Amino acid sequence: MTRINEHPILGVYQKGEPVEFTFDGQPLRGRAGEPLALALKAAGVLIHRYTAKLRQPRGIFCAIGRCTDCVMIVDGRPNVRTCLTPLAAGMDVRTQYGRGEKQ
Amino acid sequence: MKRYDVLVVGAGPAGLSAAVEAARLGLRVAVYDENARPGGQLFKQIHKFFGSREHKAKIRGNKIGEELLQEAAAAGVEVMLNAAVIGVFAEKEVAVRVNEQILCRQADALIIATGASENMVNFPGWTLPGVLGAGAAQTMMNLHGVKPGERILLLGSGNVGLVVSYQLLQAGCAVVAVVDALPRIGGYGVHAAKIARCGVPFYTSHTIVRAEGVNQVTGAVIGELDKDRKIIPGSEKHLAVDTICLAVGLSPLSLLCALAGCAMEDNPAKSGYVPLVNRYGETSVAGIFAAGDVSGIEEASAAMIEGRIAGLAAAQRLGFLTQEDLDARVAVQERALASLRQGMFAPGSRGQTFTATTEGCPLSQNLLRQGYLTDTELSAYPGVVWAEGLHPIIECTQNIPCNPCRDACPKQCITVGATAGQITALPIFDAQKGCTGCGLCVAACSGQAIFLVDEEAGEITLPYEFLPLPQKGEQGLALGRSGQEICAAEVVDVKTAKVFDQTNLLTIRVPVQYARQARFFRRAP
Ligand SMILES: Cc1cc2nc3c(=O)[nH]c(=O)nc-3n(C[C@H](O)[C@H](O)[C@H](O)COP(=O)(O)OP(=O)(O)OC[C@H]3O[C@@H](n4cnc5c(N)ncnc54)[C@H](O)[C@@H]3O)c2cc1C
Ligand code: SF4
Ligand code: SF4
Ligand code: FES
Repeated sequence: MTRINEHPILGVYQKGEPVEFTFDGQPLRGRAGEPLALALKAAGVLIHRYTAKLRQPRGIFCAIGRCTDCVMIVDGRPNVRTCLTPLAAGMDVRTQYGRGEKQ
Repeated sequence: MKRYDVLVVGAGPAGLSAAVEAARLGLRVAVYDENARPGGQLFKQIHKFFGSREHKAKIRGNKIGEELLQEAAAAGVEVMLNAAVIGVFAEKEVAVRVNEQILCRQADALIIATGASENMVNFPGWTLPGVLGAGAAQTMMNLHGVKPGERILLLGSGNVGLVVSYQLLQAGCAVVAVVDALPRIGGYGVHAAKIARCGVPFYTSHTIVRAEGVNQVTGAVIGELDKDRKIIPGSEKHLAVDTICLAVGLSPLSLLCALAGCAMEDNPAKSGYVPLVNRYGETSVAGIFAAGDVSGIEEASAAMIEGRIAGLAAAQRLGFLTQEDLDARVAVQERALASLRQGMFAPGSRGQTFTATTEGCPLSQNLLRQGYLTDTELSAYPGVVWAEGLHPIIECTQNIPCNPCRDACPKQCITVGATAGQITALPIFDAQKGCTGCGLCVAACSGQAIFLVDEEAGEITLPYEFLPLPQKGEQGLALGRSGQEICAAEVVDVKTAKVFDQTNLLTIRVPVQYARQARFFRRAP
């Protein structure tokens, strides 16, 4: 259970409506408007990209747009910081290899 | 080009407070923040803040953020979000990035309140998915309701590490260990104690050797450090964790000050590279001010005061306030600031080792190393008075800037310092004042360090901020200050009230001989 249903201080989180999107072609569900990176995390996806030279995996690190570890290919655009990108229905999200050139 | 009287960079507590002061004096003020939400650090801080009433103590950080935003709106401040200030040029012209566009703005005074950035540490495996900053963990759980992980290693025992550990427990995660390379816990003892009694172990003089895992964190190895900060061979210990959270300090985010040509210094007492500022927060460049963490890492309470001072001074520079009026108003703020900057955790005390409080009470070494007070150490403090009947036991044993316990008590049973300014003094309980056992002090205490105890009945009332809330009549276990199970316990009362502000009061009954030790309730599995 990665999502917190009810929090002792914050209560029930105000969330957008459930939407579908795809990760590497596979359908996943998240909440509209939440950061894409967190929709992925809640769905169990931790690896966002692989580095150019050493092909090492990277995932969320700062969650505020500073580190660029979380970039992915979103609707065909590479290097999108998923921690800052609000999830929208039908988004096509793909693991990024290197700087986003074809694998 | 759009112009303002005052342009504030950063909508955290410092920037918003500055904007409110200036706008209230009739200036045209805008605040630009790169984030999609205003409030800076405040919205991630869901605990009750320290300080005194004028610093908004006892109020949760996120609520303070809401209050500041309302004040800003009422004062006519324009808050612009998703707007990163990326350059500062001559004549106080700034470049702002909004969506992919660069806009230019100009102001007669500029207040830089960009806050801080998190420090990082390197160790083998630190780039694996599952290693993240403490701020990231807070963003996930407190803003978006997603758990950062299930089993977490927290690196760093400063206030940030301690507060985030507690918040992780509230989010339903297990905190497997809090690890710090220093021989003592860096943050407030009361913050450490509230996680220690939940069973979180502290490893001081330890560091992380490596994160394990191929595609994501699957474990961690920690090791003990010797005097030369080398890992003692054979001391390595494996921990089964899926997440490693880094809380190894903050550094002022002062790049914009440097870009603006402000004279800078490297000052360890301020945790890094900061602009030189005068009494008003004004940098070496006339009309450019710095306030809050950007000019030295402190607390939100101090950031708000520095912001107010900068806002007032900017108004004076623009002719909206006389020098005399400014100095009178600043003097009030400076007194508030001075009251916060006392005691062992003050910026001026960094690097010093303390063995006793200013009152002369010995500091608990166990609290500094393991995060909890031992039974024998306890009686040395003026808040711990073993009186007859129901009364509070105040386990607050370090000089921290905090006094909501005093304000909470309708019977004036609790005092903090002889004068209002001495907010770092230890709280004192006076058994002669006729405590009614109302529990207001228990709920108000920012450090969750107050318990109501009735030794004859074996009843302890403790603050409880977890879900699910135990029910009256429920059987479970009482835990001691160290988090060890000590005896069976029954919940005899659960109180929730609006004045308690989400802190529930749980009364448990234990065999009378454990009344001095039982400090937490664990539900039966
Ligand atoms: C876990 C934790 C617990 C804490 N607990 C307490 C507590 O109990 N009591 C207490 O008093 N304090 C507490 N603090 C400290 C407090 O949160 C900070 O000291 C305070 O927020 C500093 O305020 P600030 O306005 O200087 O900076 P911040 O709150 O960091 O705000 C800075 C703002 O500037 C923006 N910004 C930065 N650069 C730019 C740019 N180039 N362009 C536009 N915008 C920019 C950022 O987005 C941010 O919104 C805690 C901090 C943490 C991390
Ligand atoms: S229980 Fe009530 S009366 Fe007693 S010390 Fe606390 S606040 Fe005062
Ligand atoms: S006992 Fe008083 S001074 Fe100590 S943490 Fe609690 S409220 Fe603050
Ligand atoms: S996680 Fe750092 S930029 Fe997204």
